[in-house]
Amino acid sequence: MTITDLSISYVNTAILEHINFSISSNTHLSILGPNGSGKSTLAKALCGLLPYEGSIKIDGKELCDISPKQRATLITYIPAKMQSFEQFTTVEDFVLLGRYPYKPTFKDYGAEDKKIVEEILSELNLSGLRSHKLHALSSGQQQLVLIAQALAQQSKILIFDEPTSNLDPKNTALFVKELKRLRKDHTTITISHDIQLAAHLDDPVLFINEAKAEFHEKGFFNTDYLSYAYGVTFQKDKGMIGISYV
Amino acid sequence: MSKLVWSTLVLLAFASPFIGTVTLDLNTLFQADSLSQRIFLELRLPRMLLSFTAGGTLALAGLLFQTLFRNSLMTPFTLGVSGGAVLGAGIAIKMGLGIAFGISAVSLFGFIGAFSTVVLLIILSRYLKRAEQESLLLLGIALSFFYTSALMVIFYLSSFTETATIMRFTMGSLSIVGYENVISISLFAGLLLFTLWIKRFELQLLSISDEQAALKGINTKQLTYLFLIITSLAIGVLVSLTGPIGFIGLIVPHMLRRLYQRPVSSLIFPVFILGGLFLLACDTIARYFSTGSEIPIGVITALIGGPFFIYLIISKQG
Repeated sequence: MTITDLSISYVNTAILEHINFSISSNTHLSILGPNGSGKSTLAKALCGLLPYEGSIKIDGKELCDISPKQRATLITYIPAKMQSFEQFTTVEDFVLLGRYPYKPTFKDYGAEDKKIVEEILSELNLSGLRSHKLHALSSGQQQLVLIAQALAQQSKILIFDEPTSNLDPKNTALFVKELKRLRKDHTTITISHDIQLAAHLDDPVLFINEAKAEFHEKGFFNTDYLSYAYGVTFQKDKGMIGISYV
Repeated sequence: MSKLVWSTLVLLAFASPFIGTVTLDLNTLFQADSLSQRIFLELRLPRMLLSFTAGGTLALAGLLFQTLFRNSLMTPFTLGVSGGAVLGAGIAIKMGLGIAFGISAVSLFGFIGAFSTVVLLIILSRYLKRAEQESLLLLGIALSFFYTSALMVIFYLSSFTETATIMRFTMGSLSIVGYENVISISLFAGLLLFTLWIKRFELQLLSISDEQAALKGINTKQLTYLFLIITSLAIGVLVSLTGPIGFIGLIVPHMLRRLYQRPVSSLIFPVFILGGLFLLACDTIARYFSTGSEIPIGVITALIGGPFFIYLIISKQG
């Protein structure tokens, strides 16, 4: 994926300006930055959800020239929170919706789709919640269900927006394991405030602040740079990076 | 609860053709050209079919609008689409227009009123942010007020007879003779039902959020326009023939959601059938209590639907 001179504005206000970066297939990118810096906006634009200026190329093809259904097989975005008007969809049916881009028009979901969903539900320990309605789930369970749906979608590029923000330690570990498995044959992007997790993954970082973005292939995770970037003191203790609380 | 609702409605629906100012003689009903048979075939049966199709269409349009705009109060009625159709029909009545190109001018103007309201809503909604769907409802309410005032101007300019005709039209009526109108409404109702059925998976994604639908590869704008155009066709034609009949589009989808707690994709046929039976039942009640002139059907749907809806919300049944 190659992004060239990407700018996004909303009601004449620039949210992101002249963003440039490129990531090769089957790698992981961490997008970091303060609140309100435009990280989610960038993610949504990369999936074709927002109008943009500049160029977003996936596999050499400009994003706006790719049909919506094909785009869904190439890239998807997993929001931090479930927002659904429909409350009576079951977990299984919701995850099955991830298979929509592969469903032939006028036909129902096939046995293969249902098998894929079954496997993902079991992988994420969600089998027991299969027939639960979305509104009856906790925020952590909803986040896992969103991740499950994205896995069912099998897009080549997956952008997770704060994927662990509602997850307990056990499910966070489960997600990280899944992410490590995914990055072998998928391009993954995570937007997060979890510096420790990003440092643990030690992959390239796109740091967004005040509508601008800096791409760091390596060397982002040193306490001096982090302190400068976030405007708060970071310290390293026994190899772990964390905020120095006063 | 669910069984009680369905059995009451089915019972009232089957009683429908046998209730009216003339009591049908069951002994002569199957005799060719008997009075009972003629009343049954030319008045009661077409009316029954019209009520069922109209109720189904109104309920389905309500379900669709609520899903598309993700707001439980959105219906063609609350968004001013029915109001546009009434104004169009009112203009045709005032101008004394008859039949043009084989289509009744009242129907044509009704459709134009509904369709132009949908176009207007689409244009106005472009100025709204994604998260401001409530503002669309306010726009619909503002349009409804505008249409009502415009209709008042027509009343003001009309003769006593014209005013009475338009006024009677605004109360809604299911009185028809023969099958011509039933066929035209059924065609558009069928088109709406067919479109929603083949697009049920897309509708299910839209019912979650625009974002979810777009991320799965749906051209949400194109699909929304398709749905709105087909609905305005069905509602425009329907309202121009029966007048506005409120409440069904609002309460029937709610009733079914509460009773079954199922996603929108599996509610399409149940909503159509329940909407049809509900209006048929209301019509049966209206005719049962009629003495001389008929009680307008729109009055009955609101009188029965209103309190029942309040009961459903308060009791949280289902």
